[in-house]
Amino acid sequence: MRGNSNQARPTIFVVDDDAAVRDALKLLLRSVGHAVETFGSAQEFLDAYAEDRAGCLVLDIRMPGMSGLELQQKLNEKHSILPIIFITGHGDVPMAVEAMQAGAVDFIQKPFRDQDLIDRINQALEKDGANRAALGERNDIRRRLETLTPREREVLDLVVHGKANKVIAGDLKLSQRTVEIHRARVMEKMQASSLAHLVRMVLEVGQV
Amino acid sequence: MTLLRVAELQEERAHRLEREFQAVLDAAVDAVVLFDHEGRIELLNHAGERMFGYNEQEVIGLKVNILLPEPYRSQHEDYLRHYIEAGEPRIIGIGRELIAKRRDGSEFSAELAVGRVQGTDPPRFVGFIRDITVRRNAEEALRRSEAQLTIAQEIANLGNYVVHFDGKYEDYWSPHLYRVLGRRYGEPYIAVYEYLEPMVHPADRARWRQARAELDASGRQMDTEYRVIHPDGSLRYVHHIAQTTRAADGRLLRQVGTLHDITDRRRAEDEARQMQDRIAHFGRISTMGEMAAGIAHEVNQPLTAIATYAQACQRLIGQEDFSNTEVEAALTHIGAQALRAGEVIRRLRTFVKNREVRRELVEANRLIEDVLTLAQTDARHNGVRMLLEQAPQGPLVQADAVQIQQVILNLVRNSIDAMVEVPEARREILLRTLLDSEGDVEFMVADRGVGVDAATMAELFNPFFTTKPGGTGLGLSISRSIVRAHGGKLWCGANPGGGARFFFTLPAVPASAGS
Repeated sequence: MRGNSNQARPTIFVVDDDAAVRDALKLLLRSVGHAVETFGSAQEFLDAYAEDRAGCLVLDIRMPGMSGLELQQKLNEKHSILPIIFITGHGDVPMAVEAMQAGAVDFIQKPFRDQDLIDRINQALEKDGANRAALGERNDIRRRLETLTPREREVLDLVVHGKANKVIAGDLKLSQRTVEIHRARVMEKMQASSLAHLVRMVLEVGQV
Repeated sequence: MTLLRVAELQEERAHRLEREFQAVLDAAVDAVVLFDHEGRIELLNHAGERMFGYNEQEVIGLKVNILLPEPYRSQHEDYLRHYIEAGEPRIIGIGRELIAKRRDGSEFSAELAVGRVQGTDPPRFVGFIRDITVRRNAEEALRRSEAQLTIAQEIANLGNYVVHFDGKYEDYWSPHLYRVLGRRYGEPYIAVYEYLEPMVHPADRARWRQARAELDASGRQMDTEYRVIHPDGSLRYVHHIAQTTRAADGRLLRQVGTLHDITDRRRAEDEARQMQDRIAHFGRISTMGEMAAGIAHEVNQPLTAIATYAQACQRLIGQEDFSNTEVEAALTHIGAQALRAGEVIRRLRTFVKNREVRRELVEANRLIEDVLTLAQTDARHNGVRMLLEQAPQGPLVQADAVQIQQVILNLVRNSIDAMVEVPEARREILLRTLLDSEGDVEFMVADRGVGVDAATMAELFNPFFTTKPGGTGLGLSISRSIVRAHGGKLWCGANPGGGARFFFTLPAVPASAGS
């Protein structure tokens, strides 16, 4: 089964150009039991990262070459859902604001209290888990939708628009009995427990 | 012998005497004039004709005092009358200097001697007149040049002396030398070196003796500056130049020297230097202010690492199965990072500290390497690559390293700022040293930024001119004054590939001087 990444152990990705800071962060996060991967530059991370890997990104905002903000922009372009926590220096508040506006979950100023960082990371991981679960569910719904025949899909669309079987039969020039059979097949294939459940699933993936 | 024969002989002798007398008169360089007791001219020789512009025939019978202007004209009449009446000689038999008058009215300095012709009654007189214009002019010129020399020495506050070693001549102190050495003109003579030695500041005395010894021993000129303490206790700086003249056999003949009181100049120089140092210090502080973000970051990095390592260690130790090696490694890192932060601060303090300016021999290449270290953080955070190109000869310069680093750092800062707007691939600074054709060390900071337009170029080095928000406008003007104080020059030009290039030179010190 695909989409099992949300069940895998999340990884903290640390990107900082300063080797000592990188190494210290790795030790700290490992000491609290996280899986950690470190990268010396934004490009290094981009080259190595696969979108289905769960976790969060701890990202230095100022770096030579591609800056933290530029990496964020690239990830956004790829519709990445990986949460980003920026670590910033003293004078970087305007940049941090920009990062937050572009969707970063948080920022933290150097040097920081370990618990502050760990708390933020845990929040980010929770968010990532939830995001990935939601994403996984939507993918499941889409896959189920794909198993419907064209006729079943037509019936589904009319059902979620609140049409009665008799109306649907009229619209599709079918017998009411045939509509009932299609409808039962749709409920079964979509694993819907009720009409309300079916409607919610279709709304979830925006295919109304 | 007949009486006639005697008379003939006497007459012949008289003729001969007259011819000889005439020859003497004609050959005389001085004017000769004969006149009677009333002052009437009886004779004027050729030299007299030439000297006064008269023909002899014109003046015979005229009063001799026509040859004099007033008041000498009347005086002369009085003298003559006095002599005739009282037998009292005023000028007779003695020479005197007066002014004589030519036929054309012009006057000249003359020396006059008048004698009475013996055995004449009423008496007759002979006057000798010598034109002393040339001599008087020479005397006047000498007096004037001596006076001018004295004035010049007073103005320059400089005195000179001559010391003779062969005893034939007296040593000489110029009038102003007395002042330079704290004495009053006219005080008794003292041998200059014996007088000077105890006056020399104790800290400079060994050097002074050394210079004196070299002056005596070798043909080398003495050229040295030292301090002297005047009898009134005041401290003065003097510049002493002297040279030795020797006889063919190598004996010392004499030494001539000048002593120049340079106290005022030295004090002005000291003040100017202090002012310059204060400005340079201010410039460094403002440069640092502009770099503050980069510096804060540079100190923040090791602090962050230290805090994080320490907190990680606490957590590890709290765990049952923690690994000793991991904690030990983290502690080692903490130590190293603390030193790293300390190093950053030490470097900044050296750079910003209000310090005594010290010129020493430094390698030009080391100067640009050090700046590279200082500017690296700033450059990296602005996506700027820094390249070095060092002179292969490894030239030495006599310089205050911190001030020159300040100049280079300032240029690098400007270059970084000039490249904010250009694509990152272009952001590159080249630091270069080379030996130029004149033997100076040329430093270059070249960037690929927006460049300097002509209007900006004209004002670039003016104090308080700036194109940067928050800039002081002092960086380049301070840099230029630092470079000038080191005997070099600073200028800028366009980079052929786009951007700007700033150059400055420092005189190179021959490598042998450094060893």
